[in-house]
Amino acid sequence: MQFIYCILEYLYYIYIVENIKLKVARVEKSLSQQELADLCEVTRQTIGLIEKGKYNPTLNLCIKIASVLDKTLNDLFWDENKK
Amino acid sequence: MDERNKQIALRIIAIMYFLTIFAMQGIAIYRQFVLGQELSEFEDIAILMTINSLFLISALLYFGAIPVRKLKIKTIILGYLLFVVLGSLFTYAKYNIFGSADLSFKQLFDKLIIVCVILGIMMAFWILLSILGKRRTEKEIGD
Repeated sequence: MQFIYCILEYLYYIYIVENIKLKVARVEKSLSQQELADLCEVTRQTIGLIEKGKYNPTLNLCIKIASVLDKTLNDLFWDENKK
Repeated sequence: MDERNKQIALRIIAIMYFLTIFAMQGIAIYRQFVLGQELSEFEDIAILMTINSLFLISALLYFGAIPVRKLKIKTIILGYLLFVVLGSLFTYAKYNIFGSADLSFKQLFDKLIIVCVILGIMMAFWILLSILGKRRTEKEIGD
């Protein structure tokens, strides 16, 4: 049972991990996905997919998002669990 | 159009391009071997595919999609010989296996000279492009 739990947890982090940090930082700034997208000059879907962990943004976009939200890249995109 | 849209568009374009090329290859083979058409009847497709492939390889070399670390004479000669062998086999198969020309050894040798010259020009062109492409990238890094 423990073994299955470990596998499920691993799969969760690999495939369905959401970028909670980005979502939290956005909400802290009282921005909607659309507003953040407009500030970063991308579409709302792109921000949505990044938050869902289904799209890996380029470094340029990461920097843009981080500067809009007044955070560092580590604050938003560094995953302690993947070390 | 943001970076994600561009990435998706480029990926789909690349896939569709290769599907089109494979489809054209299939059409050419079908016309040649099933319908038994002469080359002149689908020459337009053959020319289009040849030019397309040449430009594709040239662009890949020039824009750095194919990594060229260091051009070694030995590798170039080996590559050229491989092309010549493949070209010769294709020429032999085209005339004596699939075609009914049954060329003699002398006639095949004459054709082989043409194959060698064409492949030589192609190789020289690609080497030139890879050198120019490498120089271009180095210049970009230097700026």
